[in-house]
Amino acid sequence: MPREKGLPDDLELARDILDQQVVDREETKMGRVDGLVLELREGRPPRIDHIEMGAVVLARRLSPRLERWVDGWRRRFGVRKVARYKAPWSAVLELTSYHLKLDVAALDTPTFDWERWLRDHVIQHIPRPLKGHGEKEEKQE
Amino acid sequence: MKKAATLALGILTSVGGFFDVGNLATAAQAGGVFRLQLLWPLLLGTILVIFLIEMSGRFAAVTRQALPDAIRTHLGFAAWLGPFLILSLVHFLVLGAEIGGICFALHLVTGLPVPFWALPVAALTWLFLWRTSFSAIENSTSLLGLITLAFVVAAWQHRPPTSQILAGMLPTLPHHDPARYWFIAVSLLGAVITPYMLYFYSSGAVEDKWDESYIGVNRGVSVIGMGFGSLISVGAIVVAAVVLAPRGIQADDYHQAALVLTTAFPFWGFVLFAAAMGIACLGAATEVALSMAYTTAQTYGWNWGEDLDPREDARFCLVYTGAILASSLLILFGVDPLKLTLLTMAVNAAVLPFVAIPFLLLMNDRKLLKEHCNGWISNAVTLLVVVLSIVLAVVSIPLLIRGGS
Repeated sequence: MPREKGLPDDLELARDILDQQVVDREETKMGRVDGLVLELREGRPPRIDHIEMGAVVLARRLSPRLERWVDGWRRRFGVRKVARYKAPWSAVLELTSYHLKLDVAALDTPTFDWERWLRDHVIQHIPRPLKGHGEKEEKQE
Repeated sequence: MKKAATLALGILTSVGGFFDVGNLATAAQAGGVFRLQLLWPLLLGTILVIFLIEMSGRFAAVTRQALPDAIRTHLGFAAWLGPFLILSLVHFLVLGAEIGGICFALHLVTGLPVPFWALPVAALTWLFLWRTSFSAIENSTSLLGLITLAFVVAAWQHRPPTSQILAGMLPTLPHHDPARYWFIAVSLLGAVITPYMLYFYSSGAVEDKWDESYIGVNRGVSVIGMGFGSLISVGAIVVAAVVLAPRGIQADDYHQAALVLTTAFPFWGFVLFAAAMGIACLGAATEVALSMAYTTAQTYGWNWGEDLDPREDARFCLVYTGAILASSLLILFGVDPLKLTLLTMAVNAAVLPFVAIPFLLLMNDRKLLKEHCNGWISNAVTLLVVVLSIVLAVVSIPLLIRGGS
């Protein structure tokens, strides 16, 4: 995995990876590293298996009771089909001091369920603003 | 050229952010009740906020991260959740106060009751954010905001005694109403050092794609921009001291505060006041609403940006939409805009520790800022803000009860 120049070798899991901004291939922001799952291996050092994303993962970090409560809400009112989005560590393309890039398309993952739902059910029905398109063309120049 | 244009960011933040409903209300009260004696909290607040704004811009330029983003990443979710929720609540109150300010300005001009304007103003503020890009918001509000210079012009016309202005710059003990004196002093500080301004400014720097070459520009922006905003507040205190205090008007009501420009501009004074108040509050309302959306989106890592098509950051747009609607309900249901403003400014002062402490930690993180870490002067100032903010937090609540009424 390519690492940003200047990033120290003593990468700290909690400080540098947990809570880091996650972006997809196109650098669309898709959430944060809400949880880290390690694999314990006999006779060898543990390694990161996958990262977890989702409100339920965050809730568990505060208390198990809150986790059950948030998950109950998700089942009843949420549009997200799975509580946790798990991305294997092998999908990580890049880790810098400001983001962790995954080899996925954000729109195809459960992290964008709410975004997609809002877009299709709400934003779609409001007249579109002028901004957005001009900016993109500018970037391409 | 682009760097010259970024000076506009500073001017917007100062007009829309520095001079807003909070400054107007606290300045009118300070001048009306204590004449020029309370210029010192303004001066102190300005010096502190120049340093804080410079740091938040420098942080964004070096790390390409806005403050809430970096706080979540480096201090962790559990540490940030509490301050995030408290600051969101404060932002909600500030937004209500700004919307109340616009409604009051419209009430002055039309005579229609303040609550009547709540929903139309919410719709207008929302439309402004929905339709326009970041730079359009920046440029239009900073140009229109120049109208608030009317306070400086009016103050100049009254030829206030220079010796009294200089004397007011030094802290002194009150001759009467001590509880009220300290309450206004705390509110003045709370109105100057507003948390949303720091979050807005650093997110704006990321939106404008600042890098390390902007460190010099950033320094200029913070000093000129904040200095400009402060000058307008000084003007407002001076006109209130000259116009309201001799007549025994204490600016307990925005109607009384609206008289401040009528001596310097007999015919246009009222309209000018309404226009200045309306525009400054509209600029600030857009900033607070955006600041809420930035903070929330960055906390959860959602896609964000005022220049994006709302289809690409639906959740970001939902936050400012919901915030504007909810805050306008405060005004719709008849909460008094001035009381809301004064309460909010004292609360602003009380939550400063939540802003200042993470700030101090991040600004000294050598891994993030490398050679651009805080020097000893900046650290001493931030430490002063931390200590002062804890003192303010402890005293502002009892003062709110004793001096606020």
